[in-house]
Amino acid sequence: MPKKIRILIAKPGLDGHDRGAKVVARALRDAGMEVIYTGLRQTPEDIVEAAIQEDVDAIGLSSLSGAHMALLPEVVKLLRKRKAADILVAAGGIIPDEDVRKLKKAGIKAVFGPGTPLAEIVEFFRSAAQ
Amino acid sequence: MKIVDQLREGDKRAAAKLISMIEDDDPGATAALAEIFPHTGKAHIVGLTGPPGVGKSSLINRLVREYRERSKKVGVVAVDPTSPFTGGAVLGDRIRMADTGSDPGVFIRSMATRGHSGGLALATFDAVKVLDAYGMDIVFVETVGAGQSEVDIASRAHTTVVVQMPQSGDSVQALKAGILEIGDIYVVNKMDLGGGDTMASNLDFMLEERQGWRPPVVQTAALDGRGTKELADALTKHYRFLKRGPLWRGREADRARKELFESMRHLLAETFSDDTAGIGFEETVGAIVARKTDPRTAARKLLKGLKLPR
Ligand SMILES: Nc1nc2c(ncn2[C@@H]2O[C@H](COP(=O)(O)OP(=O)(O)O)[C@@H](O)[C@H]2O)c(=O)[nH]1
Ligand SMILES: [Mg+2]
Repeated sequence: MPKKIRILIAKPGLDGHDRGAKVVARALRDAGMEVIYTGLRQTPEDIVEAAIQEDVDAIGLSSLSGAHMALLPEVVKLLRKRKAADILVAAGGIIPDEDVRKLKKAGIKAVFGPGTPLAEIVEFFRSAAQ
Repeated sequence: MKIVDQLREGDKRAAAKLISMIEDDDPGATAALAEIFPHTGKAHIVGLTGPPGVGKSSLINRLVREYRERSKKVGVVAVDPTSPFTGGAVLGDRIRMADTGSDPGVFIRSMATRGHSGGLALATFDAVKVLDAYGMDIVFVETVGAGQSEVDIASRAHTTVVVQMPQSGDSVQALKAGILEIGDIYVVNKMDLGGGDTMASNLDFMLEERQGWRPPVVQTAALDGRGTKELADALTKHYRFLKRGPLWRGREADRARKELFESMRHLLAETFSDDTAGIGFEETVGAIVARKTDPRTAARKLLKGLKLPR
């Protein structure tokens, strides 16, 4: 059996709905991947812990509020601390260009704005698993 | 083997990677499983089965906390179906198990059913062995009680818990055939919705003592935690009953028998799936199409000359 691609999709922070995250989760499933969906209101610690237990190749974080500037880099930092920096992190949501640059500098590998074609997101996770 | 040492030293990542190797049928998994096997057999394995949405994951979430309070380390393997069309899956059991956060004494793993050639139960219980060797005192296995393979998994545990909810069987006739035979403990969850008493007494009426154990019916509300203690006590009581009673050895032999059989089947399936074994599989297919031999005769002949993969 070839190695299955496993992706964790989470929604950090306290705000809102997870529609976008669910759409991405389904697209990844339809591309043959196993998606571990952890739902809303996850702390960076919870997310990293889940990613390690589930042995995922990458993490997709959905973010809708201003809080992402603290939460997303924290996930990358904690992964490094747990010697799991090989697990790549991507983010999706409405994130201003300036913040996108900062996030990438902080180690977030990709940021997908609204309207990004799903195929592009699927392709990112596929190559992240290589 | 390094990964096994790391696992035994409490490295979560090593445990997680080993489970992936098992799931991916990685060649290294066999050797690793052989090394951890002497360290297994210590955990109480509890299978929970029942229709989707009855609250199995929520209940496990409660039980994990209960057992943590009793200073036990807890593992969870939650199995969900793979899409037969895409091979992918969305595994959402963790949504209901979020309370445990980053507690070092908890390990939760989501598994998709995939198309395991040796049977799903084999892969699932190899994952359970990893958590057992990792030092977990109790391991919960969640499966959707729909098909035979799920029932098979549930009945492989030390203690099998069948979870129902009030509406799902006002008349117990509505219960799936066989469900009354497999459970060691029956749970009527969502008692907060009402109708729990009726459901519980109907169930209780149908259940009979088997081999010295009368399956209890426990009412719970995973939503607010009611009944969690009673359920945990029932689990412990059943485990003690098994361990101290005359059934233990027979059950262990049953499990070993099933696993040995499945391992043999798995090995055979593996041998055939990669044609490197050079057994002339494709040539035989041609011969069958040409009516030079028939499938049953050819199968015997091929198996006789079989060379197993290392
Ligand atoms: N009212 C009520 N809802 C519950 C209870 N336990 C679980 N639920 C809800 O039932 C739904 C399914 O629960 P889940 O644990 O995912 O069920 P599973 O599919 O059997 O694992 C969720 O919306 C839960 O919040 C309960 O005791 N009472
Ligand atoms: Mg569930």
